[in-house]
Amino acid sequence: MSLLLASVGFGLITSAVLAIAAVAFTLQFAVTDVLNLAFAAVMTAGAFIAYLVNQSGYPVWAGLVAAMAACSLLSVLLNYFVYAPFQRRGSAPITLVIVSLGMALIVEFGTAAIVGGISVSYSMSQGSTVGLGGLVFTTVQLVIMAVSVLVMGFVHVLLRYTRLGKAMRATAANRMLARSCGIRASRVIATTWALTGALCGLAGTVFAIDVGSFDPSSTDIFLILILAAVFLGGPGNAYGAMLGALVIGLATEVSAAYIQPDYKYVVAFVLLLAMLAVRPAGLLGART
Amino acid sequence: MYYLIILLVYAAVDAMACLGLSQQFGVAGVTNFGFIIFQAAGAYVAAVLALPPDTANGGFQSYLGGFGLAFPLPWLGAAVAGGLLALPFTFLVGRRLRGDFAAVGLLVTAVLMNLLVMNYRPLFNGEAGVALVPAPLRQGMFVATSDRYQYGFAIGGIALTGVVFWFVRRITESPYGRTLRAMRDNDKVADSLGKNLVALRTGALVTGGAIAGLSGALLVSVIGVWSPAAWSYAETIVLFTAVIIGGAGNHIGAVLGAVLVPVGFEEVTRFITNNNPDLPPNLLPSLQWVAIGLLIVVFLWVRPRGILPERRRMASPRPAGLGAGGAASAGPAGGTRAVRADQAGAADAPILRTSRVHRDFGGVHAVDRVSLSIGRGTLTGLIGPNGAGKSTLLSLLAGTEKVSGGQIEYEGRDITSLPAYRRARLGLVRTFQLASEFKRLTVMENLLSAVPGHRGDSFLGAVAGRRYWRADERQATVRAYELLDSFGLAEHADDYAGDLSGGQRRLVEIMRALMAGPDMLLLDEPLAGVHPALARRIGAALRQLCQEGMTILMVEHELALMDEFCDPVIVMADGAVLAQGTMASLRERREVVEAYLVG
Amino acid sequence: MSADHPAAEPSLSAGRPDRTASAAALRAEGVAAGYGGDPVIRSVSVQVGPGEVVSVVGPNGSGKSTLLKALTGVLRVSAGRVSVAGREVTNLAPEEMARAGVGYVPQVDDVFAPLTVRENLEMGGYLLGRHQLPARIEHVLGVFPRLAGMLRRPAGKLSGGERKMLAMGRVLMLQPAVFLLDEPTANLAPAIARALLGEQVASLARGGAAVLIVEQRARAVLAVSNFTYVMGGGQVRLEGTPHELAADPAFVTSFLGGRADGGGRADGG
Repeated sequence: MSLLLASVGFGLITSAVLAIAAVAFTLQFAVTDVLNLAFAAVMTAGAFIAYLVNQSGYPVWAGLVAAMAACSLLSVLLNYFVYAPFQRRGSAPITLVIVSLGMALIVEFGTAAIVGGISVSYSMSQGSTVGLGGLVFTTVQLVIMAVSVLVMGFVHVLLRYTRLGKAMRATAANRMLARSCGIRASRVIATTWALTGALCGLAGTVFAIDVGSFDPSSTDIFLILILAAVFLGGPGNAYGAMLGALVIGLATEVSAAYIQPDYKYVVAFVLLLAMLAVRPAGLLGART
Repeated sequence: MYYLIILLVYAAVDAMACLGLSQQFGVAGVTNFGFIIFQAAGAYVAAVLALPPDTANGGFQSYLGGFGLAFPLPWLGAAVAGGLLALPFTFLVGRRLRGDFAAVGLLVTAVLMNLLVMNYRPLFNGEAGVALVPAPLRQGMFVATSDRYQYGFAIGGIALTGVVFWFVRRITESPYGRTLRAMRDNDKVADSLGKNLVALRTGALVTGGAIAGLSGALLVSVIGVWSPAAWSYAETIVLFTAVIIGGAGNHIGAVLGAVLVPVGFEEVTRFITNNNPDLPPNLLPSLQWVAIGLLIVVFLWVRPRGILPERRRMASPRPAGLGAGGAASAGPAGGTRAVRADQAGAADAPILRTSRVHRDFGGVHAVDRVSLSIGRGTLTGLIGPNGAGKSTLLSLLAGTEKVSGGQIEYEGRDITSLPAYRRARLGLVRTFQLASEFKRLTVMENLLSAVPGHRGDSFLGAVAGRRYWRADERQATVRAYELLDSFGLAEHADDYAGDLSGGQRRLVEIMRALMAGPDMLLLDEPLAGVHPALARRIGAALRQLCQEGMTILMVEHELALMDEFCDPVIVMADGAVLAQGTMASLRERREVVEAYLVG
Repeated sequence: MSADHPAAEPSLSAGRPDRTASAAALRAEGVAAGYGGDPVIRSVSVQVGPGEVVSVVGPNGSGKSTLLKALTGVLRVSAGRVSVAGREVTNLAPEEMARAGVGYVPQVDDVFAPLTVRENLEMGGYLLGRHQLPARIEHVLGVFPRLAGMLRRPAGKLSGGERKMLAMGRVLMLQPAVFLLDEPTANLAPAIARALLGEQVASLARGGAAVLIVEQRARAVLAVSNFTYVMGGGQVRLEGTPHELAADPAFVTSFLGGRADGGGRADGG
């Protein structure tokens, strides 16, 4: 198998994990107006919830469901007790970003304080390897990619065909007009936090499965990849985030094969800064 | 004992860094989430300037350079490096990007710089970092381990912090600092008053970066090692916490924050773990970070301006000896500029001319091929129904918005592609329809901020000190008091502009525009919300200014005022100029009546 | 309130409509509102009966849009009261106003630009059951047939006139008892503006709804109004049937000035 093919394989898995996180992050931003830098910390918290469930003798997939529930709840609480009060007071966007950084510290190191700073892994089998058109994946990797594709399909159906999804898009586009249609925007926003929080927990767990062993600060760098994917596609644009995740995932892994693995994130970094400088609205334009 | 000295040096380092950060975040409004990389750059540069070549130590560490320079060169190099490193980031904090997006860009940069330095060993020895950095001046007179040397170092560090304190204060309390704070409060308006935002933000990044670099040099000189673990992005958050708690924009607050958070909280508690072997090793450091996060969120909620909020700058009292008018109207703070010699012959030529100026917003022609010319010394009214394109036209003339097509000529010069601040410097100044006062500047400061060509309104002028710009300031203050008197706001000179009523804020804006000494003034509904009697007085004052040589183009929907003061009046409808003439003649014209009544 | 409700035919020759409180679908009494400082409008009273088109006209800055925002819950009412069909709705949140039967078409940002025309209509019918939607959309397309051919197009890509029809159609989805239209003809070409007022707005009232329309193109809107208020300086300066106003010399001067009392202004200083 060629180096290129192998790196494309890795890239697709990274993209799959990244896409779940980036879509959730960007929807959060679009509907709620919070650029939530605590997102990656909540992901890790979810990964550790799954770990606790896994350690109690249940399969990691049960842990994944628990992580989704826990992160969903945590995100709703974050909004209810922290972000929403600041927004009601009319705080500037930059203040909310600083607040979200503070929450990132609280969640990340709160997790570290509870579980300790050690690296852990799920006890699970990677399954047999499967060859697919020159690419080789383990069963678990295939499951991750399938989950990601399912999530993308779910988000697409949600946004295009359901009453809730359309209300989310309407709220993102024009909150006051949405309210004038009788949409209770605060409920749509709370639901968005619940939903994107669940996706955040899902992303955290599949991230942990993918990297093998993880600790409370494992997602620090992953946050940068999420931001790169989100800004590349256009902040607030769900389809842009999917595209951005694909580009960033492939770019980092393929460049890792040809330059040096240590510098693979530099590509994401350059793409993000170039995008901010040249076209802040992203490839597909801002907002869904 | 050694611990106490280290603590003092840390206090100096952190106070210095917080001063730099407060200068960027609190004074200039630039949120630099990558602040720590400037400190890191200073530390690395100071280290490699002081260290001998890496071949000299048996190759156990590798780094770029190794110059073995004597103190103080490594420290100077560190400050320069911190300042220079800021230059590539200018594009992130320029005029286009939202502040929170730029902050994210800087955060990302900080994380990835750390990653890069950690993994690329030839640069600064990778993850292990550089070690054995020589302490300054330890040969000869001083022995590094002696108590005297340690104390001397601590005192020297504190003295250096004092110098930095003095320096940032000198900048902030100058007219240049006032401009920085004006930009923080409303960058678009500062732009329209002739302030170069890119240059100002770059200045703030470079100043803060140089200070951060110097603090890095001080730190690496005392601890002797510097590795990527010392400058994770989270360290920036600690400094932000300190500045927010101390009071952003208040320099004493920055020092207080540094003493409370990084020193008092982080360093002191770092040693608690040692005495509690029963606890897991990771618990206390983790809880410390949790506490930092809590401090940020709780302070931003309970006391967003910090323990020591930015203080209000009271206006200097009315300078005695200089009477109203007369002497005061010369110089930078004077009313209109003198007509330049090369224009004297062209006094009859229009001051401003547009040809087929055009602006589309997503297919809608907001301004549709407008050609008009404005005569010198006229008070021209611009009226028309909502959505006629009046405000957009004003923005195009002032450069706040770019034209989609057409040409604008001012004083015989094509200014179509000049940015707003350059047009303002040519004497073409606008006001805004929506409230646009600098909220956290006093009324007096709002007025003074607009003075063009003030000697103190540049970085170098600020550094040169009060004596260098005192005369300009005095003259400007006299002029400001004159305006405050004639607009009846003298007793509000020391109030924050953001605390005034809507009508009073409109007046501040007109006065501020006049302080800019314009040749031509573009006013966007200047009298909305102003008491009718006062509006009439201001109208008369504006007409007086025009008789003295100023040109005014004014959007206003109070047509009675147009009757009284404006000639000619231009009517716009659907993005185009419909008619032009005296208000009385326009009222007779059918198409004007139709535009208003029928559309 | 069904579509075939016998409605008053708006016309200049109609007699002065019943202005008694009992007949009002929408009633505002002594309303004051503003943007945080001094109120922009003060002691404004208007009322609209079912099947009526009532217009509020006046020059820029007279407080017309502020009045509508206060009536829809977008702005806080600091004094006075607002009622819909006899029920007090003062200071309800915008989403509750919609539930109380008030439909609002803002002057700008009146559609969800990224959403398709059909999705915009669905959002208009957000409070309806899923099975009611197709029939309501059919009904709205009957009123605004031009929209039928562009259901899948994003609202942001419509022309000005189409966009305003969509905005009105979106509100019509809920068959509100009261329509509030904020300068629906701003930025429309005169012919399109006349058609919008003469046909679409009139048809809303024929459906039995109370229509309150704020307009700057006074003459055009007068032609379709049963009753008109003229605002200036944050207050109602004149009121009457179009017939009465057309005969009043104060009407023209209230727009173009020329008289000492031709529109005072809010005192913010």
